[in-house]
Order: sequence, then C-alpha cells, then structure tokens
Amino acid sequence: MQPDGSLQVENTVRAVLRDVLGLSAERVAEFREDTPLFGALPELDSLAVAGVLTELEDRLGILIEDDEVDGEMLESFGALTRFATAKALG
Amino acid sequence: MIDSYDWAGGREAMMRFGPDAGPVVVAALPLFEEANRTRSFVVTILRLLAARGIAGALPDLPGQGESLVPTHRTSLLKLQDAFNFACDRFDREGRPCYALALRSGALLDVLAPVAGRWHFAPIPGEKLLRELKRTALAADPQRKDLDSLIFGGEAPIEIAGNLVSPALLGELAIARPAPNARIVRLATDTADAALKVEGSPLWRRAEPDNDPALATLLADDIAAWIRACAS
Repeated sequence: MQPDGSLQVENTVRAVLRDVLGLSAERVAEFREDTPLFGALPELDSLAVAGVLTELEDRLGILIEDDEVDGEMLESFGALTRFATAKALG
Repeated sequence: MIDSYDWAGGREAMMRFGPDAGPVVVAALPLFEEANRTRSFVVTILRLLAARGIAGALPDLPGQGESLVPTHRTSLLKLQDAFNFACDRFDREGRPCYALALRSGALLDVLAPVAGRWHFAPIPGEKLLRELKRTALAADPQRKDLDSLIFGGEAPIEIAGNLVSPALLGELAIARPAPNARIVRLATDTADAALKVEGSPLWRRAEPDNDPALATLLADDIAAWIRACAS
C-alpha cells in the first residue's frame, strides 16, 4: 500500500512509534506537531531510532540514507512526520 | 520437552512439541537480537500447532540460544547445515518436515530436506546487513567504516553487544530466501505476500513481547497449509 496523502503518512509515523517503542495507542494519539521525541521519550534510544527508521522504510516504501539522519529530524513528532512526508510523497 | 540433535559441529538443544508421529514443523528464528525478541512468539505458535495435532521443533542453531558455539564462530553455512541436520533427524524417521521461518530465519532453510517452507515477514540477507549497519552506527556514530571491516578483515565485529564474524556478514550480502515458500506478512508491510495479517512487528521491540491473537491466526494458516501440501 503506497500512502496517498500526508495524513496517511502522519498516521504511519504514529503507528511505527507505537509498534517499535511499545507505546499505547492512547499515548501516541496525543502526539502533536511539537511533541518532543529524541531525548524526551526514554523508549527512543539510539538503537530504537534504527528500528523506527527501518520500519518507516518498510511501511512507506522509502529508502533513508544514514547521512540524512540527524538530531533535527528526530527532535519532534512534527519534524519526523515532515521528513517522512517529504520522502514518501516527494 | 527439551531434546537435542547432532550436526557436523557438535550437539545442540532442541525444544519439541506435540505428537511423536506425523508431520513436524521445524522453526528457524531470525538471526541475532531478533531471535530473542521473537522466541516466545514462535514457541506460542508451535504450542498452538501441537494443540492442532501437528508436532513442532525449535532447534538451537550454532551461536544461538544455549549453543556453546561463540556467536562470532558461527556462519550462515553452519547455521544452514545445523538446520538441515535438525530436519534430517525427522526425515529419517519417515516424518514429513515443514520449515517455519521468521524474518532472516528464512535464509536458513534453503537446502533443508523439507516438504514445504512457510515464511513470516522474510527478508533477504542484504536487508539484514543494512539493518545491522544502521544499528552499529546508532550505537557508535563515530564508526563509519563498517564496510571495510566486513569486506576487508577477519576480526570479529561488535554490533550492539554481539560479536559477529565478518565472514557471516559477507555471506549475508548475497543470501536470499528460497523462492518457493508460502509468504505471510504484516498488513503494514508493502512487500508481496500470499496472505497479509494484522499485527505489530515484535522483532523491532527492545523488550521481548508476545501476540497470542496473531500466533493463533498464523497457527491456523500453517495447519491449513500443511493439510493442503499433504493432500
């Protein structure tokens, strides 16, 4: 399934954070644009980041190069969603 | 019950489930850390199969589980060889064997004496290698030269706490699952499959987890598939 809209990408990012980090659906449903991620969520350590990125690749049918990964894209839910949207929808 | 099997490199433990006659499902866990994350899920599937009258076995492969072989002394060839021996043991008793593999476990049954292969979320070795490199990089951002370590050296490489031989990583670069398996994937996976199921990827969880509802769904599919293979 290729996502055909940015809302779908946002929902995919939410589902990936839920599934990889083992968070509850209620918790990820509360994530907003400015919800901080890396450094704020104890579940999201550097190894979990690798899992999140790889799972995003599988679900969105995208390829993320390691040199594209920086602290900024993982700073907040909004930043990660913007990155994933740009990748998936070009 | 805990049993064992012999292979060319020694003896390994093997968990057994279900009846002493009839078909046997021999399971291959994914390589490395994902094995720990999916072990209880696979055991649940094998128990559910046993409740449906189908026997199961989960062999420890060299470098996995209780094996005495150090993780950096194993290779893809050894893992495949040991898996073949585990299947061969039932094959010699005249019991038809079926391989059940998760993720990179699908790289291990390629040459096994089995009547059929059932793969859940299989991945080619190249993809596992890519994920390992990403994990190694996440654990140590200064380490950018993993390719030269893999393709140039002989010293074991530490990836997220496990020592891995460069030879194994080199083998992964070209390893692919057998082409004739029944493939089942999560609905969220964009790759092709004969069946897609709802569930979450337990192999990504830092803390091992289980999903009995998904295990039941998969056990039903395996049982129906074995009946279809046998008829």
